[in-house]
Amino acid sequence: MTEIYLRLVDLILTPIIMLIAIMLFLRGHDLPGGGFIAGLVFAAAIELSILARGAEATRERYGPWLAPLIGVGLGVAVVAGLIGIYGGGFFRGMWVELYIGASKLKLGTPQLFDLGVMLVVIGMAITYLLRLSEAAEAATRTPTAGEGGQS
Amino acid sequence: MTLHPTVLALPVALPLIFGALGMLFQSARPPRRVRVQQAFTGIGLGANLVLALVLLIYALNGGRLAYQMGLWPAPFGISVYLDALTAIMLAMVGLLSVVIFPFALATIDAERARAGFFPMMLFLLMGANGAFITGDLFNLYVFYEVLLMSSFVMLTLGGTPSQINGGIRYVVLNLMGSMMLLLAAGITYGTLGTLNMAHIAVRMGQAPYLVQAVIAGLLLIAFGAKAATFPLFFWLPSSYHTPHPVVTAIFSGVLTKVGMYSMFRTFPLFFPWLLNDWQPMLMTVAGLTMVIGVLGAFAQPTIRRLLSFHIISQIGYMVMGLAVAMTPSAFGVGFGLALAILFLMHNQLVKTALLLGGGAVELEMGTGKLNELGGLVKQMPVQATLFLVAAFSLAGFPPTSGFIGKLGLLEVTFSAGQWVIAAVSIVVSLLTTMSMIRLWQYVFWGKPHRAQPLQHGRTPHQATLMTTAPVAILVALSLLIGVAAQPALDMVQVAANQAIDRAGYVQVVNPELTATDLKSLQTPPATSAVQTGADSGG
Repeated sequence: MTEIYLRLVDLILTPIIMLIAIMLFLRGHDLPGGGFIAGLVFAAAIELSILARGAEATRERYGPWLAPLIGVGLGVAVVAGLIGIYGGGFFRGMWVELYIGASKLKLGTPQLFDLGVMLVVIGMAITYLLRLSEAAEAATRTPTAGEGGQS
Repeated sequence: MTLHPTVLALPVALPLIFGALGMLFQSARPPRRVRVQQAFTGIGLGANLVLALVLLIYALNGGRLAYQMGLWPAPFGISVYLDALTAIMLAMVGLLSVVIFPFALATIDAERARAGFFPMMLFLLMGANGAFITGDLFNLYVFYEVLLMSSFVMLTLGGTPSQINGGIRYVVLNLMGSMMLLLAAGITYGTLGTLNMAHIAVRMGQAPYLVQAVIAGLLLIAFGAKAATFPLFFWLPSSYHTPHPVVTAIFSGVLTKVGMYSMFRTFPLFFPWLLNDWQPMLMTVAGLTMVIGVLGAFAQPTIRRLLSFHIISQIGYMVMGLAVAMTPSAFGVGFGLALAILFLMHNQLVKTALLLGGGAVELEMGTGKLNELGGLVKQMPVQATLFLVAAFSLAGFPPTSGFIGKLGLLEVTFSAGQWVIAAVSIVVSLLTTMSMIRLWQYVFWGKPHRAQPLQHGRTPHQATLMTTAPVAILVALSLLIGVAAQPALDMVQVAANQAIDRAGYVQVVNPELTATDLKSLQTPPATSAVQTGADSGG
């Protein structure tokens, strides 16, 4: 079955990589990062859990959410464009400033669009990775056709 | 009639919204999922057609629109642009997808429907619409990628080995085309410092001839690969016969035509003088595309393989029209382009009709092999008649749209003094007639072979109505263009005049340009042999 070390790494690293992805997303407007990269990093975190737990278990956990996630992402991206119409035109950048204590948080439609991109990329990339590992697992399983495969 | 420029966001936004809504139900239980997705796709396609027709009426009345995404002013932001040429393409593709929809409802099997065929139709439409309206070279590349991805998914839905094989060839060769487009965009940005098409048009004349030639050559390769011209057509016959027949029909109406449209849009706008300088090369490409396409068709063993070679052959006529677009002739400058646009419309209608008709036969009989078919005229008399009319239209018999398109193209090439290509096109027409009659004879005439069971779940009667009506509508439209030739010619004349009106394009997209910038559009560079005085319109 799956390796204990990989499962341990998965347990520790996957949440950290997910956090890195969210951080990359948040800093993306002014600094290197952004929705596309964040989505790929997020998918990398899931790939780690595919390696540790196998594609089947991962599909059971995330599989049903993937296609709707792509739908939500596309929807969010379009809505980000439509909000702009309120400000004069499609995709017009609109900003709100939130004050939490002393720190200022600037939120805007470009970030909302980026969020949509991130969701689409996560959905697409994980679907793709799951298909690949399912095919790879099926290919490695057939020749031995049983337990006892040594590495 | 006035339209707010923001409506230009809709050709992309509408299909995207309905596609996204459909994707939300991808995890629902299969029967409900498919029903909901079919409903969303139906509404989306219908709304898109209404929108496209409104835009078409607006544009044919002389209106042109430009919208700056996010209101960033023209050379910096992404512009989208609408004129009659754009509107005609939007309307044609919108119409085709609505007409194909019932055919898809009747014949798409449960497995493909569950895998998300119907939302994918909308994403394909979004890619095509985006490529039509964009006014930015890099954005054009992006929409090509959208088209490529969604068409790749549609091509491989079902996942048989032949589909994967064809899909890989399709995606690799098309990616190479896209790379060329990206390269052209990069060189354009590096030398001219802009990607906005209006801005490129202003600056192209001042660039060295070598730079112009490199950009034009790369664009020609990129769009040629998309449009399947000689020598870049190999992906088409190796992939078009593999997917579900509906998919082939959609592709033939949309994919190659987007490549052709991009040529119609960019060449007269960026470097109209090159259309004259490079005329011998363009004529060679056109002639070889026609001849090799039609000769290839004779060797094909199945309906769809044969028809996909005819797609290539017919593309040659459009390149021929483009090649004489800027040549002065008895009909005025730009008439060649007008006829090329008319021929493109005709081809979209007729080719889709033939592929749907042939696809219906293939689904009904369980095979598309010519030597296993025969005698279907008794079994499917209506389909056989429609197929014959569409075949005659493809070959160019009166009173069909093919006759008008080919006759016009012949006249304009003769009048431009290009009698070699005119002769080639006549011979190719004859060969097309022979090939289409041979196809019809194999499939519908002769002794009937044993009937195969239906390949889909509907009752024969339901399926017959839903698969015959789309073909009938398309054939009727082809006949309509043939009978009402004058209104159709007026329409494409408006489109062609706007397409070669460079100053008009630039002014609509970027109204703050100075008078000197606009003046640079009127005077051609020194290498040009012909005045681009067509800017004032014919």
